[in-house]
Amino acid sequence: MAVEKTNNHVLHFLRSAELLKQGAEARVYRGEFLGKPTVVKERFPKLYRHPTLDEKLTHRRTVQEVRSILRCRKAGISVPVVYFVDYTSHCIFLEDIVGSVTVRDYINSAHTSEAKNLEVVARKIGEILAKMHDEDLVHGDLTTSNMLMKRGPGCGEADLLLIDFGLSYISALPEDKGVDLYVLEKAFLSTHPNTEALFETLLKSYSASSKKSQTVIKKLDEVRLRGRKRSMVG
Amino acid sequence: MQYIAKTPQQSELQTAKFIWIASCCVYTGFEMHLSQRLELFPEYTVTQLLFKDVKNATDLRKNAIAGEISGALINPSVLVDPFQVLVATNKALHLQKIGKMKTRSLYSEIIFNLSPTNNISEAFKNFGISDSDSAVQVVLVHADAEQNNMDDILSKVDGQQISVHHISSLSNIAKIKKLYKVSPQEELCGSLLDAVICRMATKDVL
Repeated sequence: MAVEKTNNHVLHFLRSAELLKQGAEARVYRGEFLGKPTVVKERFPKLYRHPTLDEKLTHRRTVQEVRSILRCRKAGISVPVVYFVDYTSHCIFLEDIVGSVTVRDYINSAHTSEAKNLEVVARKIGEILAKMHDEDLVHGDLTTSNMLMKRGPGCGEADLLLIDFGLSYISALPEDKGVDLYVLEKAFLSTHPNTEALFETLLKSYSASSKKSQTVIKKLDEVRLRGRKRSMVG
Repeated sequence: MQYIAKTPQQSELQTAKFIWIASCCVYTGFEMHLSQRLELFPEYTVTQLLFKDVKNATDLRKNAIAGEISGALINPSVLVDPFQVLVATNKALHLQKIGKMKTRSLYSEIIFNLSPTNNISEAFKNFGISDSDSAVQVVLVHADAEQNNMDDILSKVDGQQISVHHISSLSNIAKIKKLYKVSPQEELCGSLLDAVICRMATKDVL
C-alpha cells in the first residue's frame, strides 16, 4: 500500500509544490496546475486509524467537501473553483485566490479608524451565512480563518469567500445551524477580543437576510446556555 | 505550465497546407495551435487545434469512431475556453493511469469528461462532433512533443484552421448554460468557465 501511494503521480507532483499548512486532517499545498495558481488539499492517511476505516472516512470527507463546494457555487456563494479531484490520494485541486487575506488577518490588522469597514465586512459575512444556511448547508467549522477576502475596491458579493468545507454537511435543522453560528461566535470572540458589537452586527445582518433566521437565532440562544453538545437525555 | 512555442517556420512537422493556411491568416501574436505540458503527467503534451468551415465532419466522425484518427473531436460550440479541454484531458489521463476510465479509449474519455452528466451516449451527442457541424476542435495527446500526429490531422480536416484562442467566438453561450445547468445566481460568484469547470471536476460524486 505504501509503495503504491508513493508511485502516485499526484503525490509526486505535490513533492514539488510549496507546503502552506499542515493540520490534523490534511496538508495544504500551493503550486501551478494546468497553468493556473492552485491550492491542493491532501487528506493524508492517518496511521493511528484502522486502514479500512481510515480510507472510508477520508474518502467520505473528500466527497462531502467537493459536494458542498458545488452546492455553494450553485447558490451563488463565492467559494474557490474545484479544478480536479483525485479520490485515490484524496487530493482536491482548488483555485488559489491570489492576493487574498483571511478575515482573521484583516480584522487583526485593521486600525480603529477602519471600524466602518469592519462593520461592512461583518454585515457581508452575515448575508453569506444566511444564504448558505438557507441552502441547508452547515459549514461545521466557521472561523474567521476560513473566510477569505479579496483585496479590492469596495466589498462586493464576490469579494468574500468561504473555504474549508471539510466538516460541512446538509441539514435543515435549526439546531445544526444554531450550533454553526455558536461555533463562529466562540471562535470570533476569542480570536478578536472586544468585538461583541461587531459580532452583533453580523448576527443582525444574518437575521435580516435569512428567511428561516428566527428559529435559528432562538436555537443559538439555547445553545449558548448549554454549550455545543446537546444534552444526552433519554 | 510550459508552452511549447512553435512557429510555422521553425517546425519541421508542419505540412504545406498548414503553412499555407497560417500565412493566409493575420498574425495575431498567437500560435494557431496550443501545446501544453501537464504538471501531473510531464511525459505527455496536449495539443489543441481549431478548425472552422469544415466540410467533411461526417467523414471525420466516422474516422474517429473507426479509430483512424488518434485524437478527440469536439464540438467547439460547447467549449468556453481551451482550459476546459485541458481539465478534461488531465482527468482522462489520470483515470487511464489508475485504470478507472468509464469509456474505451483516452480520446472518448476526454469527450466524456467534458459532460456534466455520467451518461456516455449523451456526452458523445452533446460534446462530440456531429455530421452537420462546420467547426471542430481537435485534441491530441502525445508522449513526445516532436512526435505528434498534427500533420495527419491537418491533412484529414477539410476546413480552415483558426487560432485556438478564438474558441470563444464559436461558443454557444445559451447552449452551454443549458447543458451545464448554470443558473443566473451562480454567475454572480464567478465566470461561466468557473461554473463549467466545477461541474466537470465534481460530476463523479453527484
